[in-house]
Amino acid sequence: MNDPYRVLGVDPSASDEEIKRAYRDLARKYHPDNYQNNPLADLAEEKMKAVNEAYDAIQKQRQGGGTSGRSYSTSYSSSGNSDPSFARIRSAISRGDLQQADQLLRQISDHGAEWHFLSGAVAYRRGWLDEAKQHYRMACQMDPGNMEYRQALAAMEQSGGYSGYGTSSGLADCCATYLCLRCLCPCDGGFFC
Amino acid sequence: MFGYVRPFRGELKCKDLELYRATYCGLCRTLRRRCGIMAPMILNYDFTFLALLTAPEKGEQVTCRHRCHVLPVRRCMCQQSPALEQAADASVILTHWQLKDKIRDDKGFARVKARCVKLLLSRAYVRATRRLPEFDRVVAGQLEQLHQLEQERCPSLDRPADTFAKLLMAAAPAVEDAGHRRATEQLLYHLGRWIYLIDARDDLEEDRKSGNYNPIALRWDGEILDEELQNTLNHSIALMRSAADLLNFGRQTELIENVLRFGLPAVQRAVFAGQWKQVQKQKIWRTKYE
Repeated sequence: MNDPYRVLGVDPSASDEEIKRAYRDLARKYHPDNYQNNPLADLAEEKMKAVNEAYDAIQKQRQGGGTSGRSYSTSYSSSGNSDPSFARIRSAISRGDLQQADQLLRQISDHGAEWHFLSGAVAYRRGWLDEAKQHYRMACQMDPGNMEYRQALAAMEQSGGYSGYGTSSGLADCCATYLCLRCLCPCDGGFFC
Repeated sequence: MFGYVRPFRGELKCKDLELYRATYCGLCRTLRRRCGIMAPMILNYDFTFLALLTAPEKGEQVTCRHRCHVLPVRRCMCQQSPALEQAADASVILTHWQLKDKIRDDKGFARVKARCVKLLLSRAYVRATRRLPEFDRVVAGQLEQLHQLEQERCPSLDRPADTFAKLLMAAAPAVEDAGHRRATEQLLYHLGRWIYLIDARDDLEEDRKSGNYNPIALRWDGEILDEELQNTLNHSIALMRSAADLLNFGRQTELIENVLRFGLPAVQRAVFAGQWKQVQKQKIWRTKYE
């Protein structure tokens, strides 16, 4: 395992307060909220895990197995779906196999709300942000009640909502949006988280 | 390329300005050795940024004092590194193919000029392809695809931008670590997308008058929704920043963050306000701009 102090980017002689601050900064940087719908979400999660482990290890070393003060978790679940062909497309997307997902989408002639939503998701994964937004918008028009579609469109309208590191006003904005979205969404987490 | 990717002077620390300048002058020197008097034509900020991105995070970087080619009285600190060599090769290859496109599309004097420049660059191009054969192949393929989309007058923003984005993605050196590679690819993909779209927005008025292909004019016929376009550009910047946060750039970190967080939005504002032509002429180390 890597040196926990190096993971947090602090000196081994740093005070508890400094370590806590470094940990908080990093945790904020790699927090899953920053990487919602981001194709690199899994990498951010790995980083987050490493940071959490490093912080725990330091806490253990310093307090002799004391409690850890961390408060950030990274659990997300994906929602299930009824239609078998759409389910196959969804699993292809979450595997990252965009070519297959695209092929499967082409085979479907009925372009309903879910078709548009999934086409949007494929376009998004490719980096085709404008087309993704158009598809999400169509999906929302066809099925205005669906929270998953609305959440996806809202994220696009927020320009990804990435506040990054160190911008306090942006961060507050991001958290507020996140909370609003959470209120809208009855299930825990969206599909592509 | 076009010089849209630059740091924001007002937020730049002295050490980062020095680092940027040494990289820029180093790239100039590397290009000088490759293509002689044609070097200033190819040198630009975009490839300086590419060199910064691909420079190794650790290790000694050699910086030496050399006479400036443009102004021999001046002596500049010039960096030397494999990343600069690669960025120089990549810019020679890209310029070659862009000139080829120009020869195909332009008429009259512009065409003759492009022919001459291409001829003068031919030796440097052959050498560069020997070092980066894969990049040469990708550039040729992607620009051909872009040409086809232009012929079809494709009304999508993303499809033509995708060709240029993939082209830039290929400029990254191969790395073993899959996570590192994916993050770099996302960063470069959205950088390419952003450059293509901002260039299209910049040329919009001109293209409308001349009737040349412009994806933005076709995407929204009649009134252009600047807000929508800005939204999608900001999204690309957000994805670039999220990718950059996952990477370790060593001493280049703060400079790269400056470019992504302040430089690109400032350029974007200038382009949308129609002030880009004035801003573009300014050298980063002499003047500030908003």
